[in-house]
Amino acid sequence: MNIVVLVKQVPDSGSERGLAGDNTVERQSANNVINEMDEYAIEEALRIQAAEGGEVTILTMGPERAAESIRKALSMGPDKAVHVIDDALHGSCALSTSKVLAAALGTLNPDLVIAGAESTDGRVQVMPHMIAERLGIAALTGARKLTVDGGTLTIERQTEEGYEVVTAATPAVVSVWDTINEPRYPSFKGIMAAKKKPVQTLALADLGIEAGEVGFAGASSEVVEHAKRPPRQGGQKVADDGNGGAALVEFLSSEKFV
Amino acid sequence: MNFDLTQEQNDLREAVSALGRRYGHEYFIGKAKAGEHTTELWAEAGKLGYLGVSIPEEYGGGGGGITELTVVCEELSATGSPLLLLVVSPAIVATILARHGTDAQRAEFLPRLADGSLLIAFAITEPEAGSNFHRLGTVARRDGDDWVLNGRKCFISGVDHADYVMVVARTEDASTGRLMPALFLVPTDAAGLTRSQLDMEIVSPEKQWLLYLDDVRLPAEALVGGSTDAGLPALFAGLNPERITVAAMSAGTGRYALDRASRYTATRQVWGRPIGTHQGVAHPLAHAAIQVELARLMVYKAAALYDAGRDLEAGVAANMAKYATADAAALAVDTAIQAHGGNGMTTEYGVATLLGAVRAGRIAPVSREMILNFVAQHVLGQEKSY
Repeated sequence: MNIVVLVKQVPDSGSERGLAGDNTVERQSANNVINEMDEYAIEEALRIQAAEGGEVTILTMGPERAAESIRKALSMGPDKAVHVIDDALHGSCALSTSKVLAAALGTLNPDLVIAGAESTDGRVQVMPHMIAERLGIAALTGARKLTVDGGTLTIERQTEEGYEVVTAATPAVVSVWDTINEPRYPSFKGIMAAKKKPVQTLALADLGIEAGEVGFAGASSEVVEHAKRPPRQGGQKVADDGNGGAALVEFLSSEKFV
Repeated sequence: MNFDLTQEQNDLREAVSALGRRYGHEYFIGKAKAGEHTTELWAEAGKLGYLGVSIPEEYGGGGGGITELTVVCEELSATGSPLLLLVVSPAIVATILARHGTDAQRAEFLPRLADGSLLIAFAITEPEAGSNFHRLGTVARRDGDDWVLNGRKCFISGVDHADYVMVVARTEDASTGRLMPALFLVPTDAAGLTRSQLDMEIVSPEKQWLLYLDDVRLPAEALVGGSTDAGLPALFAGLNPERITVAAMSAGTGRYALDRASRYTATRQVWGRPIGTHQGVAHPLAHAAIQVELARLMVYKAAALYDAGRDLEAGVAANMAKYATADAAALAVDTAIQAHGGNGMTTEYGVATLLGAVRAGRIAPVSREMILNFVAQHVLGQEKSY
């Protein structure tokens, strides 16, 4: 099975994050890592490869330093990577990002595309759907379990109430949550091999996309302004002078928690 | 001059750290107090190739050097879940076998040492010959093709779950009559080998053992290197990696203690401000951080010199690194406890649990006094004092 995993480099969600002067995500000063959910996508791809055979390719769109995340992704075990890199991509909206990724996927001819259900920077959760729409293939999104049976894919789609079983034929796009597996750590051999694995770089021209269709120029949405999250409000202290329990219940019910 | 690790070494550092964090200090202490081993962590690190980083690739290892093994030792310790036997099985024994073992010994032992499925302890210290291996009382006598070993060893780590013990004994050179060290691979279930546990005031999953060798009969193949001439160089081959990896563990432990303490002092509020805003609290931690970082630099210098094949210089650096990291780790743990106040002595806050280990670091595997002797003699050119 020919599997492509979408991997995005994002600022570490464990550190202070912000937006740059042009209202794009600040990446220059951030500690950039593989989007956490994408590690689950990589793991899932490697498990399917171990059972079904085939090849796992990492696909990343991002600036030059995203190469570091590609190398780390490859150290987990995938065979090769494609890095779409072009100065004109800076400021791209979700719609134009999906155009670029779909075009790159077109050159790879995958049976299965696996992505994290969301990125920790943008958090819009639309990329898998948009890519599937552009490629004219099925989207199985929000999986907590994925089963491959020949050319049939079945997922358990995680919902707030439980899960739904959804089936599609390959080729398809599957997005996964962090409930699907436990990603492996890169082995030392994997780390040593990562640098030697082929990484193909593609520019917009290679994909037949004009610079004006992407980046700020082609963006369908614009971040107009942003504000810091307001500081956390001091909580309400309940002194227990005998009726602490009642006071707690009163507070919880006033906030509609009970 | 370059103080950076390579990209791969940095990736290894991150990967080992992530693995160690998943286990952490609570796991380590839980196992120690239950009298169990950190088997799961050992097995997982082995499977990922972290235990075998320094073993040659042709024998299933990672093909890296002692620098890579140093990274593994330090990072696991920095997560509060150190693996003491990294110092023994991969650092000492595997290095000795890779450099001085026979082809058959390499083929038999190295692949399993690399994936951690085989554990070999190392026995040199004796009750009557502490630091002085020229006075070893364990004797190997030739009997036909066999060897027969007699003697006692003490402070031997991890024998209870090791498959073999590499025992340092001495033989008599037939022509000169001089006593020469010889190393033997003794199965832990060999007839005549018995052990008793030493009660230690160290919270660790690894126990310390007294070994008794009473007419332990071994085949000729048990002799490391297949010749008594291999003994001395083989022994020396193991000592630098031991010191460097022990030093790495101390450095990692120091980082762990300071990490715990600084997270505590940055968040613990007294009179409306974090206690870390008081210089009386912050400065001792900062001082300890400087000592730990200085000592770490020497650890990596020693590892780099060793991997460059500069054994003599590596020996000086390894001894200095071992001395400096032991003191720095003891200071860091003591300072971390003080910064925690009463909480510092609880098990929950996970710093006083390290007291025994860091104190022992100033004694084992070579005492600070012997290192001072070494530096006085070999660096400062003083006459031997003992």
